[in-house]
Amino acid sequence: MQWLWENRDLVFGLSLEHVRLSVIPIIGGFIACIPLGWLANRFRMTRAIQLTIFGILFTIPSLALFVTLPSVLGTKILNPINVVVALTIYAIAIMVRGAADAFASVPRDVIESANAVGFSSASRFWTVEFPLAGPVLLANLRVVSVTTVSLLSVGALVGNGALGYLFINGYQRDFPTEIMIGIVFTLVIAVVFDQILVLIGRILMPWARRPRRSPRALMVRGAA
Amino acid sequence: MLFLEALAFIVDPANLLGEKGILPRLVDHLLYTGLSLGVALLIGIPVGLIIGHTGKGKNLVIALTGSFRALPTFGLLLFIILFTGLGLWPLVFVLAVLAIPPIIAGAYSGLDSVNRETIDSARAIGMTEWQILGKVEIPLALPLILGGIRSATLQIIATATIAGYVGLTGLGRFLIEGLAYHDYTIAFAGAILVAALALAADGLLALVQKLVVPPGVSRGSARTTHRSRWNFRPAVSTGTHITGG
Amino acid sequence: MPQHMKRRIIAGIAALGLTASLAACASGDPLGGNGSADLGSLTIGSQGFAESDILAQLYGQALAAKGYKIDYAPSIGSRETFIPALQDGSIDLIPDYAGNLLYGADPKATATSTVDVMAALPAVLEPLGLVVSDAAQAEDSDALVVTKEFAAANKLESIGDLKPIAKDITIGANTEFEGRSYGRSGLEKIYGVTGWKFKAIDDYGGPGTLSDLLKGNIQVADIYTTTPSIKQNDLVVLKDPLNMIAAQNVVPLFNKDSYSVAIANVVNQVSNRLTTAELMDLNEISAGDSKPSPEKVAKDWLTKMGLL
Repeated sequence: MQWLWENRDLVFGLSLEHVRLSVIPIIGGFIACIPLGWLANRFRMTRAIQLTIFGILFTIPSLALFVTLPSVLGTKILNPINVVVALTIYAIAIMVRGAADAFASVPRDVIESANAVGFSSASRFWTVEFPLAGPVLLANLRVVSVTTVSLLSVGALVGNGALGYLFINGYQRDFPTEIMIGIVFTLVIAVVFDQILVLIGRILMPWARRPRRSPRALMVRGAA
Repeated sequence: MLFLEALAFIVDPANLLGEKGILPRLVDHLLYTGLSLGVALLIGIPVGLIIGHTGKGKNLVIALTGSFRALPTFGLLLFIILFTGLGLWPLVFVLAVLAIPPIIAGAYSGLDSVNRETIDSARAIGMTEWQILGKVEIPLALPLILGGIRSATLQIIATATIAGYVGLTGLGRFLIEGLAYHDYTIAFAGAILVAALALAADGLLALVQKLVVPPGVSRGSARTTHRSRWNFRPAVSTGTHITGG
Repeated sequence: MPQHMKRRIIAGIAALGLTASLAACASGDPLGGNGSADLGSLTIGSQGFAESDILAQLYGQALAAKGYKIDYAPSIGSRETFIPALQDGSIDLIPDYAGNLLYGADPKATATSTVDVMAALPAVLEPLGLVVSDAAQAEDSDALVVTKEFAAANKLESIGDLKPIAKDITIGANTEFEGRSYGRSGLEKIYGVTGWKFKAIDDYGGPGTLSDLLKGNIQVADIYTTTPSIKQNDLVVLKDPLNMIAAQNVVPLFNKDSYSVAIANVVNQVSNRLTTAELMDLNEISAGDSKPSPEKVAKDWLTKMGLL
């Protein structure tokens, strides 16, 4: 505790960095997944191709991406972009499947009713499909958020791990407290992000606040 | 091209055997994966089944597994090593911690997905609770249980690369060596090897899933089986589940 | 390190050096556009262990006190990584160690003393687009270390004494140790110590290496001479009579384009006051009970020395 107080500037700075570096992949992954998920749901072929590509990308260890991306992107070694791009790839890999599921969860009859009353396909997407897919998208986004915040610390091995710095520094100085503080702050950021997402969900999707379907039914849908 | 150089490195017989060869490192990687998965299964499956069957402690476990997922494995490993020294068990422990949430979630949501009426009918014809669990719930839940195990396996395989940083070996050594010598070819080769191992393991588990799931079940939930072919992160379905619960 | 790998790395470093100097020509980085009084900004890297973090802070705070805007890029990693980072302009300055720097850039170098190493450096660094300012008196070198008991049991005093038992020992060190001039090739050529097993433990002689050494999982460890754990655990540093490990004075390493005499003067003031004893003190404070941040360790020292 005393260490935390004496080093508050360091920990605060790293936390801020952690937030900064993980927000971009979370938002980027979400935005990229809307068209990808919609495409995957619309065309069987693209679904298979997308899921294969991102499935393979997801099996590459984060450390491997952190290390090799500069050679692929032509970026500087210490550029935080490398870590951000790697985490965005993961975010998409996780999201894309869920996003396809989310759009698939929109009942067919609803879409057909929308067609019947004369929605163009773009306005049908934004006013009907997207909001109805919202709860499932949100659930996936929460997983992405937690995973991103936790994976980022491995970036410390390539000089861009934000709070992960405390892991390496604490380890090398034989100082468990410093590592524990790094872990706790990572968890705090993950929880805060999660609560923010829940809050955003409540504001934007008030209808999803109390699931009308029983949890069991939603579960089966979500898993199926 | 880097990718081709990395492939050339992999197929070069000179890199196959020996202290730093691909084969011994692959064997070690499989050892770490197997041990961690074993420990995770021993804990995760019973816990998941108990919760799924009784419906008790559901919220607690969902909350716990959710926060487990946010635990940075890397930090946890270094933390433990400061107390235990380098060794195999700290690694196995943190990888098991990583793998338990998806296993519990798979087992639990598998049981949870079984139709209540089916269970009530089983009870009505006089089955004991154990019989219901063993003969009705588990067989019907198998696709989701195995889905959880598959996702856990993939996460372990990818994350076991950190073994190379803490005095162990495994395929992660190629990444650490690539990093230490700033040699992209070796790092790339490591990435390809790990990804290939993960895909092979996933294919194998998909086959197991096909073989052990009773025909009626796999047909009944064809969509599930189809999807879980790409279920690299059933964490996602669990995420859905968190909102549901 | 296998020959082909070494060649590839050298080629890589050379290629990066070329692109970096080209890139540096193209970008004229206009500074001070906001009309502030600062003299320019510098990013200072560090290598990934506590001492390097402290040294980076020493240079950084001394420069900041003179009006430079300083950013830090801590824990970059091995020389094989931070040299390209210097060359591509990711960082402008990093604390390094003279002997390792020389042999990393020129594996065929022969210099071993501080004077010879420092004399050899400029010519080797020039084509890489790098430059050093004055070396500190402080030395922190890689050292092959054994426990007191192991030394007594095998009558070990110098590195050469490892020869008869070489086949039965495991040496623990960072990954890059094996490829260094004092790694596989140096131990074999200079001391005839060959056939040993290697255990890569990437904590720069930190707690993992130490606990493995004390437990006997490894028999020899590469631990830096300024590390407090050597004294604390009564470890024996094997002598190096044939100078396999060259003089490792702390030396500030710059990207040539970031270097200026004015900056070097500030950094030299730090180097001039830094002795091995002071450096060991800094490490002990950092590893001490309150585990102060590198920033604080550096600030206290600079204040004590009247450099702030």
